[in-house]
Amino acid sequence: MLPFFRTLPARAVLPVAAALLLSACEMLEFSPNDHRAPQEQRDLTAQNMARLAATPLPASDTLRFVFTGDSQRFYDDVQDLVQSVNQQPGIQFLVVSGDISDFGLGREMRWVDDQLGKLRVPYLTVIGNHDHVANGRDAYQEIFGPLNYSFVYGDTKFIMTDTNGREYNFNGRIPDMPWVNQQLRATDTRRHVILSHVPPQDEDFDPAVRDAYAQALREDPRLVFEMNGHRHDYGINQPFNDGVTYVNSYSFQKRRYVVVTVWGDKEFRLKQVNF
Amino acid sequence: MLKPLLCALLLAAPLTLAARAAAPDSLAAAASEVPRPPARPRWYQPRHLVLQTGGGLGMITAGAGYSLRDRLDADVLVGYVPQKYTDKALTILSLKIRYSPWTLPLSPKVWVKPLSVGGYISFTSGLRNPGQPGQYSDDYYWFSNRVRTGPLVGSQVSYALPARATGHRRNLSGYYELGTNDLYLLSYAQNRRALSLADIAVLTLGLKLDL
Repeated sequence: MLPFFRTLPARAVLPVAAALLLSACEMLEFSPNDHRAPQEQRDLTAQNMARLAATPLPASDTLRFVFTGDSQRFYDDVQDLVQSVNQQPGIQFLVVSGDISDFGLGREMRWVDDQLGKLRVPYLTVIGNHDHVANGRDAYQEIFGPLNYSFVYGDTKFIMTDTNGREYNFNGRIPDMPWVNQQLRATDTRRHVILSHVPPQDEDFDPAVRDAYAQALREDPRLVFEMNGHRHDYGINQPFNDGVTYVNSYSFQKRRYVVVTVWGDKEFRLKQVNF
Repeated sequence: MLKPLLCALLLAAPLTLAARAAAPDSLAAAASEVPRPPARPRWYQPRHLVLQTGGGLGMITAGAGYSLRDRLDADVLVGYVPQKYTDKALTILSLKIRYSPWTLPLSPKVWVKPLSVGGYISFTSGLRNPGQPGQYSDDYYWFSNRVRTGPLVGSQVSYALPARATGHRRNLSGYYELGTNDLYLLSYAQNRRALSLADIAVLTLGLKLDL
């Protein structure tokens, strides 16, 4: 019995003390714009891409993912969405079309991850205008990852790009067209899907880049559709009447999401789910 | 625009301290053998200095403050957050008020103020994207990025330092505060299922030296 008591402080008290100290350190926030995060909530894009790569989709298999956006200050709704998505069969991953946070604060992004981290599938995000607020751009990069990136799943490449031109004072460089063109012109995957926050027909998209963006999409024969958030409501249309389909996501607050199924060269089906 | 003001505040605090420290010496030199009680501090002279970390008010935050009846403290603080933690280095100017109704002596030299309640307002300068004139329409983002306010609760333990030659007694106190800010509070109020009070809590640790 004696050794038990002798080692009790080390075995019981020390871990508790360490946990307390650790959570105290996390609570010692220097500013709401302080973007520090625990290791498990850093580089979430890379973490989720690694998870996705661990369950590869065989070539020519049907792609199925959940499309949503604008989680902002709707944490209770995020919780309910996760519960609903976890009951959907055959879902491979989930995408959030930006505005993960409302005030561009790191803690807000982590609150959303606290819920989305409970998904049975990985999730991927793109930066929204609210994520740019204050020092949010840096927080997004710390907690999620790059502002422009792409990933391939099965036969499809997803091109995720920052289209929040107003947050850069319409500097003529958002979205980053050289990068977007390079991604769209690549021929190593069967299909392309491009996903961003602000749709090009929106007044928050840089008008100087609008035509170049629409043209690049029009000229990509592999593009299935373009996907956006920002408008907080579902929509599917061809705003430039050029054969390119634009799909907009529900916000979490609408308590609906879209299940996207893609097969063949460009065949797709969009199913709306209430939760 | 804030920076010169902050610098002046930081510089002024030690100066007033030095001015007070000089006064008793010159009195002693005036041939008085018996230590006299120090002159009452002028109304504008701070009663204490504080040094703290966290609380959303900076990584290193220093300031000076006033006390009323040993219960109400009002502190003016200047905090700094290095670039490493927040994209661009931030300077945070804040005003903090705390009310501590009870004092419990533990020994002649140690006492505790078990409960302090209060609040703060802070102004942040150095944000990368706080919104420029004409960048957004007025209602685009309805909240301020620069101004935060929030409640706090805490406790304080004080220790009586050895008296100075003048007989002037000083106390050194350590305190913690648990607080939050207006934006976190709003998020919590609207999401009571997904968020807990622990999610929105922010910790401050600090030292206070009575002058």
